Amino acid sequence: MSTTNTPTLTERRSASIRASRPLMGWRTVDLLTITFLGAAFGVAYWAWGQVYSAPGDALSALFPPLAAVVGAPWLLAGVVGGLVVRRPGAALLCEVLAALVSMLPGTKWGFSTFIAGVLQGLGAEAAFAILGYGAFGIAAAALAGALAAPLEAVYEWFTYWMDWSWGWKIAYLLILTASGAVIAGVGGWLLTRALASAGALNAFPPGQEARDHRAV
Amino acid sequence: MTPAGSRAGSPAGQPGGHGGRVEVSGLTWRPYGRREPILADLDLVIPAGQRVLLVGPSGSGKSTLLRALAGVLQAADSGDLSGSITVDGQPPHARAGAVGLVLQEPGSGVVAATVGRDVAFGLENTAVPRELMPSRVRTALAAVRLDMPQDTPTHALSGGEQQRLALAGALALEPTLLLLDEPTAMLDPGNAAAVRACVGEVVEQQRLTTVVVEHRLGPWVDFADRLLVLDRAGRLVADGSPRGVLAEHGSALADQGIWVPGVPDPQPTSVPSGVFGGGPLGANVVAVDAADVTVRRSVRTLNGATHATLAVSHQWLQARAGQTTALVGPSGSGKSTLMLALAGLVEIDDGVVRAHPSLAPHGERSPRNWDTVDLARAFAWVPQWSSSTIVARSVLDEVLTTARAVGLVETEARARSSALLDLLGLGHLAHADPRHLSGGEQRRLAMAAAVVHQPALLLADEATVGQDRLTWSAVMGIVEALRDAGSAVVLTTHDDAVVTRADRTVVLERPAQPGHPAQPRRSLVARCGPLSLLAGSALAVPAGVLAPHWTTSLAVLATQAALAVIGLLAPGEGPRPRGRLTRVLVRLLPGVIGAASVAWSTWLFGTRDLEVAAGAALRVLIIVFPSAVLIPFVDPDALGDHLAQRLRLPARPVVASAAALQRVHTFGDIWAEIARARRVRGIGATPRSPRAVLAEVGALTLGMLVRSLQAAANLAVAMDARGFSTAYRRTWWAPAPWRRADTVVVVCCLLPLGVALLG
Repeated sequence: MSTTNTPTLTERRSASIRASRPLMGWRTVDLLTITFLGAAFGVAYWAWGQVYSAPGDALSALFPPLAAVVGAPWLLAGVVGGLVVRRPGAALLCEVLAALVSMLPGTKWGFSTFIAGVLQGLGAEAAFAILGYGAFGIAAAALAGALAAPLEAVYEWFTYWMDWSWGWKIAYLLILTASGAVIAGVGGWLLTRALASAGALNAFPPGQEARDHRAV
Repeated sequence: MTPAGSRAGSPAGQPGGHGGRVEVSGLTWRPYGRREPILADLDLVIPAGQRVLLVGPSGSGKSTLLRALAGVLQAADSGDLSGSITVDGQPPHARAGAVGLVLQEPGSGVVAATVGRDVAFGLENTAVPRELMPSRVRTALAAVRLDMPQDTPTHALSGGEQQRLALAGALALEPTLLLLDEPTAMLDPGNAAAVRACVGEVVEQQRLTTVVVEHRLGPWVDFADRLLVLDRAGRLVADGSPRGVLAEHGSALADQGIWVPGVPDPQPTSVPSGVFGGGPLGANVVAVDAADVTVRRSVRTLNGATHATLAVSHQWLQARAGQTTALVGPSGSGKSTLMLALAGLVEIDDGVVRAHPSLAPHGERSPRNWDTVDLARAFAWVPQWSSSTIVARSVLDEVLTTARAVGLVETEARARSSALLDLLGLGHLAHADPRHLSGGEQRRLAMAAAVVHQPALLLADEATVGQDRLTWSAVMGIVEALRDAGSAVVLTTHDDAVVTRADRTVVLERPAQPGHPAQPRRSLVARCGPLSLLAGSALAVPAGVLAPHWTTSLAVLATQAALAVIGLLAPGEGPRPRGRLTRVLVRLLPGVIGAASVAWSTWLFGTRDLEVAAGAALRVLIIVFPSAVLIPFVDPDALGDHLAQRLRLPARPVVASAAALQRVHTFGDIWAEIARARRVRGIGATPRSPRAVLAEVGALTLGMLVRSLQAAANLAVAMDARGFSTAYRRTWWAPAPWRRADTVVVVCCLLPLGVALLG
């Protein structure tokens, strides 16, 4: 939309296509896409919950707070939900539904799974809100992935890592934030782009961006 | 304009007050990303009560026009729309449900878990009071002759029943205009006839204006008063009485690929000899033999329960070299499953599947035990859903995938690929991205990709669905050329023209399902609603966190265990429920492992204090234990009712969430189907290569997401056609009572928290 030729950070931000106005005017397809995405992520989350402990234990044998790295995939749904639909609440709803779906068949953490989903979703949602639901590039995605982590990490301090030293707790928070930015943020951005180029997001801004990209 | 029905004030569904006059002027629609519009400056008037049959070649915009008439064109797509459409002088969505829409794919519009609730969906959206719903649902179900109990699960219906259910869902809203998008294209002949009979009766009785899109005209010609023909550019090129239009344009339409009644079935295209070489087996030799095969399929629902059905019961099937076998039978008769069993792509529960010794690698005759490349070399499978099995980024690479995996000479494979693509009308698309092709093109591409390495056995699931006369000829030409070169071919089909050409036909019946055992007594906690169960699980989190010392934690856990025993008691009449304890233990096991690992890391890397470690482990157990007991009893279908009616959460997100929850069990099937397709194409994961396993998991996840997004888009169209887009204030089919049992379970779950606080 900018007419200048020098690409700046602000220009790249404005290059994100926003959701149609009004922002809170959720179409049916927006709602269903978020809930179906959330449900599909929930199935994947459940599967990851079955296998993550092998790499998780290996990492925590090196340095216990490194276990945060295998926690980052659970932050994906919020990032992807926000990137696809681009409306207030999309990230939160997607992550919460994923948590709910992964909880119902039974997980290690019981109801705690759902609380985690709410906290992670709120974090990712906060990132998109800070950017005014106007930026959805790779940096915005990384921010959403990063912000999905802190509330979750603090919650885990009080439920699982109560007896750790403060140094470890802080390290856990920082590692979860960093791996959230990379795995959930950049990973989620790549996944959204893959879905768009597969033609699955035609009714959404990322689909439109993929078409513009092809047209060039 | 007819005086009746021209004003919003006159209830259009009232007997005698029928409206349904459609006026379209200057309608143009160009989805973003396409240069040419699909519909260009279209003008059309349909008088009230007229029955229109709308035809045209693939890609002519028939379905698009239907969606435009229903006012849902932009429900799941975005683009430039201009012109106007009115129904009785109003926009199509002025009254929710005034225009009823039935989509092509059975089940794509199913919203709810039970038959009654699904029909009531539109009534809920239009805020019809709950007490008026049962009679309107009964009337609608009776009109389509569905006489099963209203609490029958929707996923237990056959394809034809699901289409009649969709019709009932539209009728419940008393439409004046009924739109049917190839309603019988995916049905077997028996079910298709039943659906057509229902449509005929309903339209006759209620005098509905009707537009039917079909590419097989024959069965609809007597139904229709008027035949409209669209050309490839989305323009109306013929309009008149069906007999008149067919007499004048019949052969031209057939030449464009439309299935015109009275024109003989097309002949398979002849494939130049030399495209395929000689086959590995002699004529009529049994390539694969399935003897007395039984397959059970189990569906795992969200609350962890599994429902087993008998998909194939003691069936025999031989695939012979140089012969085409057609597998026919109603949907649910196990055709697809039997075919998969033949190629070792599903686990069989009983019986034997053996391949010819000359196909068996290393003397292993059971295809189930072959590795992915050996399987791909001998067998090929064209799934019904070819879009989600695409792996390459160009059409040519897609075709060459299996040839490369099995090590075919590249030049030879390329020559054959080009020949096949040309035959199938895809030659000009060789460098296009296969994911952007139409559904029909993707099905043909899957066929080319399956046969390029000339497998000894070709399995194809409904290969001719949605093909016009021209592409039908090409697909059948390739199938028969492969057969003539000495391969065995097995086709599941509803297509009479395919059955007539088959060398042998095997008819399957729906296997008799084992009867349901008597309902066991219910546990006390099963009498609670979802909110109290979740609240009880949630209360465990503060109980775990607040317990100050491991001795207190132990007391909390003991309280929880005592309450669990009481909650799982099942007093009353009837057989004893089985496996209550096992179910809790199975769900608790991961928690126990988690607790152990938390304790271990606390001890090893922390204070090396056993008491602290024990406290950490007990804390985790306290948090998880109530969930293991209570959450299995959460009914996902009731959850939405309670969230919306008790907690007053916004209606539309709750309904969308409930719709997704009730489809979750299908995601596992999608995952399994993509995994199967990759295995039989020679690119499945092998345990030898961790990288291949990772690539497979990535591909399967992406494929599952793409398919679920497509399902969401279709469902959005179906839901908007039933008034969901404006359902901000809606009523609910099922009440969401808070019972005494709910209060009791919440109070009980406060007890461990009290113990923790006092300790």
